[in-house]
Amino acid sequence: MTPATPAPAGRPPVVDTRIEERLGLLLRFGVVVSTVCLAAGLLLYLYLGDGWFANSLLTTGLILLLATPVARVAMSVLEYARVRDWRFVVLTAIVLLELCAGIIAALVFHRRL
Amino acid sequence: MVGEERTARKRPVAASLNAGCYRGDVPPVTPLATGIVLLAGAVAGGLGATLGIGGGIFLVPFLTVVMGWPIGAAAAISLTTVIATSSAVSAGRTGSHQINYRLGMVLEVATAAGSLLGGITAQYLQAHTLERLFSAVTLTVGAATLSRLNTRNVVTGDQPDPGALGGRYAEAESGGVVSYRVKRLPLALAASFVAGNLSSLLGIGGGVIKVPVLNAWCGVPLRAAASTSAFMIGVTAAAGAIIYFGNGQLSPPLAAAAILGVQAGSSIGIRAGATASARSLKLLLAIVLFAVSAVMFYRSLP
Repeated sequence: MTPATPAPAGRPPVVDTRIEERLGLLLRFGVVVSTVCLAAGLLLYLYLGDGWFANSLLTTGLILLLATPVARVAMSVLEYARVRDWRFVVLTAIVLLELCAGIIAALVFHRRL
Repeated sequence: MVGEERTARKRPVAASLNAGCYRGDVPPVTPLATGIVLLAGAVAGGLGATLGIGGGIFLVPFLTVVMGWPIGAAAAISLTTVIATSSAVSAGRTGSHQINYRLGMVLEVATAAGSLLGGITAQYLQAHTLERLFSAVTLTVGAATLSRLNTRNVVTGDQPDPGALGGRYAEAESGGVVSYRVKRLPLALAASFVAGNLSSLLGIGGGVIKVPVLNAWCGVPLRAAASTSAFMIGVTAAAGAIIYFGNGQLSPPLAAAAILGVQAGSSIGIRAGATASARSLKLLLAIVLFAVSAVMFYRSLP
């Protein structure tokens, strides 16, 4: 925990520089890899038509894109556990559970159709 | 309760698709449709970034009204663009201290619950109900924007003690350090829940609801409110988009086109927004929102 800027007066806010940097890297990685998959998949789809490889690339890109925020929340749980900030471990774990409930709901809808 | 009308509307479209995992009311993929979606994504992303809001609020009306697609398919595509924008913007602002991570993570508990509920509800609501809701939300936000046309944004300058959830960042324009404390957390949580709910139902990011509330009543400066909201909407949109994806309403090629378009458009729009005056941007936003509201209301009529 390091303060944001040299404070003019008073207490510095709580800032977790390492956590922020790691989350930023994860988000950048997720968006770059998924965008590359989607761009390549779309080009193949348009030039070669509806094929297995193009569809796999597109689906992989979308799943990576959807998984990026989930991974970011999971990483937050681990990072807050590492600095023993249990209040934020609980809060981020609740968000992760909510996202998992969304995945379960998605699977239920997927079967129903 | 899936209505007769909606079931009847989606069958023929579904029959025209033969690809594996996506079914239901997914629009057919043609090179022309892909090109139009790419362009629409770029315009929506550009306009959204210029006005400081997400592109979803323009993309969804375009895809439903101009392309004639079901609102579920449009919302699913729009939500994926919201995730891409959120991840890109958050990664880009790392280290600037404008994103309040702790506040964001607290509010995410409410916003993810809201969007989970909205994502499930959306699968049972009829299209015209969602279109009317979209119209009502854009009308309300437009009216709120207009009423605050001459109000300066609340910048609670120098709180000596930012507290557990407050923040501090260096502001480029004034050259000073902005320090703030978060007030009325329950209100911020309630706004986040509603924003998450509407996000999943309508395919928007939800920043249009959270940012004004955080800024006007919770003591968060506009820049921090907007950045924190941009950080949060990735989780909000993911909770909803996963459900649409599972329900077979997301067309991967069209989503890819929209995502690429929005990313290109918003990187141009951010520069345009920096040069225009706040008052003219607000006026433009209100006019566009009223137009969107009218068009969506017209579309919802039987």
